[in-house]
Amino acid sequence: MANNKIEDLRKRRETINMGGGVKRIEKQHANGKLTARERMNLLFDEGTFVELDAFVKHRCTNFGMEKQDNPGEGVVTGYGMVDGRLVYAFAQDFTVVGGSLGEMHAAKICKVQENALKVGAPIVGMNDSGGARIQEAVDALSGYGRIFYNNTIASGVIPQISVIMGPCAGGAVYSPALTDFIYMVDKTSQMFITGPQVIKTVTGEEVTAEALGGAMTHNSVSGCAQFIDANDEECIAQIRRLLSFLPSNNMETAPAFETEDDVNRLIPELDDILPDNPNKPYDMLDVIGKIVDDGDFYEVQPHFAKNIITCFARINGESVGIIANQPKFLAGCLDISASDKSARFIRTCDAYNIPLLNIVDVPGFLPGTNQEYGGIIRHGAKMLYAYSEATVPKVTLIVRKAYGGSYLAMCSKELGADIVMAWPSAEIAVMGPQGAANIIFRNDIKNAQNPAEERAKKIAEYTAEFATPYKAAERGYVDDVIEPNASRPRLVDAFNMLASKREVRPAKKHGNIPL
Amino acid sequence: MKKFNITVNGNAYEVEVEEIGGASAPAPVARPAVAPRAAAPKAAPKKAAPKVAAPAGGNSVTAPMPGTILDIKVNEGDTVESGQVLLILEAMKMENEIMAPAGGKVVSIHTSKGASVSAGDVLIVLG
Repeated sequence: MANNKIEDLRKRRETINMGGGVKRIEKQHANGKLTARERMNLLFDEGTFVELDAFVKHRCTNFGMEKQDNPGEGVVTGYGMVDGRLVYAFAQDFTVVGGSLGEMHAAKICKVQENALKVGAPIVGMNDSGGARIQEAVDALSGYGRIFYNNTIASGVIPQISVIMGPCAGGAVYSPALTDFIYMVDKTSQMFITGPQVIKTVTGEEVTAEALGGAMTHNSVSGCAQFIDANDEECIAQIRRLLSFLPSNNMETAPAFETEDDVNRLIPELDDILPDNPNKPYDMLDVIGKIVDDGDFYEVQPHFAKNIITCFARINGESVGIIANQPKFLAGCLDISASDKSARFIRTCDAYNIPLLNIVDVPGFLPGTNQEYGGIIRHGAKMLYAYSEATVPKVTLIVRKAYGGSYLAMCSKELGADIVMAWPSAEIAVMGPQGAANIIFRNDIKNAQNPAEERAKKIAEYTAEFATPYKAAERGYVDDVIEPNASRPRLVDAFNMLASKREVRPAKKHGNIPL
Repeated sequence: MKKFNITVNGNAYEVEVEEIGGASAPAPVARPAVAPRAAAPKAAPKKAAPKVAAPAGGNSVTAPMPGTILDIKVNEGDTVESGQVLLILEAMKMENEIMAPAGGKVVSIHTSKGASVSAGDVLIVLG
């Protein structure tokens, strides 16, 4: 072959690699953002990124578009290795026509989506786009639609991770929303259906883009995003970390890691980690940190519905998903947001064969008109549904309160927990001693010479008799009452025993989870 | 005071109307505050308004859930740091620590020991 053809190829590739050109790249950097190619190179192990479709061009002829050349069509796509495992990715290139999405831009994304699904590899989508390329009209819309459809078809088959690293507005937000996880980079990313200007025209409300759809807003208020990171580099490092907890697809299990942490490690601190007064809060994260391998866990949605903790960790080197009540916030009660957050996490774990560990200290469902009007019935039902539906190993550890419906909602034996263990401090009962005594002993209290004294006596009686793990253990609702210090070896053992668990459900098209 | 005869669906009503605060009829000083209520139509049951409106610019700490105030750990005028415990709210079988969302001065306290509060009630305003 003549060398000039190779020269020509090199030149072409060089042009494409420069994206929107030096000036726009500098501007991207000045805004605290990396370019699409820099992001790809950070995501993948060094030298493993293989780009696809670099030469794709748009075919729009509206509004003089035929004269416009967009290197790479505003999106970089391909595959590579993350810690030696195959991962697909696309990154929108804001330096090329603002990363706007047209027909061929979408076609590039769809191709990697379909390839990832075909080979069963996770896909990471990095969003940094001004939105639909208006000149391409309905072709742009069609592009979004195809991406949404692919997201949905791949849902529960391959892990899909979305990253918001710039603007993501209008219909564009629905591709991330359909995926398993959303990362947002603080200060440089926004997501909204209608932006501040439209909101001002329609409702008169004045709000900044950051307050409306910034990273913290979606991480703490709306619950639309799961993770927030300070900058592109940190964010991509965290995505690699998340991938280490996930299998490549729903037919595999997550990679196991060798651990130095002794599986028989006793944890004497757990024996007195709970305050003497059962009505005093403590930090559940301390309990989790002491039990899991090397004290290492990765919280999902740490800023949203803080009354429940959802996190990935490893026990004996194997990935587990942990759902735990957090007594430090809202007394660890279940409410609408906590139900949504945990139900989603449970289903994510079940879809990807990640066993569940439920650590229970729950006083009940949060009372109030806003909860009832907000639909706590249907939201709370999601937890019951998600737990019952999950066929992965389910292990429940009740450390303190487990009252009423919330006890069931935290994966009791009846919802299919394979092993339920309780600390001696557990209080498993239909309701709190005060409320129960008031009802059961109403007449005794009323007729007593000193009702207040009688009431206190009855509460103490009820507490001693019923606010314990032993009533539940008598019936086999609790498999064993264990010493807190032995929690780690007992959990390691439970998950080992359950490794070969198989559970078959009646054939159906799909269940009908309350939404 | 003006008198009108009004017929609605065939029923005749005699209605007295008082004009208040109009340019031509200076109203008594004390009256205007009361009069509008009498004139206002009985509307649908009012929504429970928050007990205290937060002053603009202030950082108000609200009750996250309904319960009883067990203890107030600060006094008006105190300077507090972000994360400092302001009060203890007993709710959901728990003595919940209500913490300062940000540092600042305690401008005002809108609750007392033993008080029952609803979710969203303003408890303390920080400046």
